[in-house]
Amino acid sequence: MTAGDAWRLPPRGVLLVAVVLIVLAEVGGASMARFKLPLARWARDAMLARPAVHGLVGVRDVDERILDEALVKFDAGLRLFHLHAEGMGLVILATTSVAATLAGAGGGRLLIALLTVGGAGYPLGYLLWSVLIPYRGIEGGKTIAEWVVWMPFGGAAIVALWWLAGLVALRMAGRWRA
Amino acid sequence: MKRPPLVVILVAVLVIALGETAGAAMARLRLPIQRFAAQRIDANRAAHGLSGSAEYDDEVRARTVFLSEAGLSFFHTHAEGLGLVLLFTGTLVASAVAGRRARGLLYLLLSLGALFPAGYLVYGLAVLELGRDAGVELAERWVLTGLGSLAILGLLGLGAALATGRRRR
Repeated sequence: MTAGDAWRLPPRGVLLVAVVLIVLAEVGGASMARFKLPLARWARDAMLARPAVHGLVGVRDVDERILDEALVKFDAGLRLFHLHAEGMGLVILATTSVAATLAGAGGGRLLIALLTVGGAGYPLGYLLWSVLIPYRGIEGGKTIAEWVVWMPFGGAAIVALWWLAGLVALRMAGRWRA
Repeated sequence: MKRPPLVVILVAVLVIALGETAGAAMARLRLPIQRFAAQRIDANRAAHGLSGSAEYDDEVRARTVFLSEAGLSFFHTHAEGLGLVLLFTGTLVASAVAGRRARGLLYLLLSLGALFPAGYLVYGLAVLELGRDAGVELAERWVLTGLGSLAILGLLGLGAALATGRRRR
């Protein structure tokens, strides 16, 4: 096996970020199951303490429907964090290995940084959304998560993935020309 | 571990990148996508059996838009997963399977199989153009079954190659 045929590992820090993200996802999934009721109770109490944010009017029939919808979204945010963190941990491991193996030293470092920071940051947006729902409402929380996390980190991950695809395509074209 | 050929890596990275981009589009462009879907349903009234009764038509439209969005959502999740599956199984083929021809065949099957999520894009568009049942039937028969079968064949082949124990040196 020649050095050119073998995978090269990304830097240790990148591996650590990916593993920690997967651990967080696992812990998140377990916590959702184990602490389902306390979490829902906490979110409900926090929402009841902010009736204006959620448009609660004091009529039980109306308010319960609003609270139920917010609790479903609160739970969905936690579930999406769990799923995306598991997936992105693996995506970081795989794509940074490709970048470490095929990209040059200079661009490779930036590409690996983008893949890692973008990939690890993006799932945290779902956690932030869930935490914000009781305080800012469904849409208010979503807007903050979108601007603070999903767009910058998700955008970085998408740009880095297309950059990586272009880089692999260029390497292939170079091989064919040679 | 050995890496698979560049073309296999390219397919895997492209599939993952498309999956990520589709996820972002679903979140960011939800309303324009729903508007586009509703327009296509109205443009294919006969296929959807729209009757002119607002209540009935709205129900049909809502269910079909939901299916179309589900197609995009399945594309997002499957593309992320299968891109990774291709990278990991391609690495196993490169590292552990003996015989150039066997490796070539497995790379081909696994790479074509990794395009399986494209079937969900076809699904999402076909239900808008042909109606729910005909659209799902088209995507399942002509894309999902074919590419999914290739992925399964590739995985079975890899399993068989590993089980026979002829290791690559």
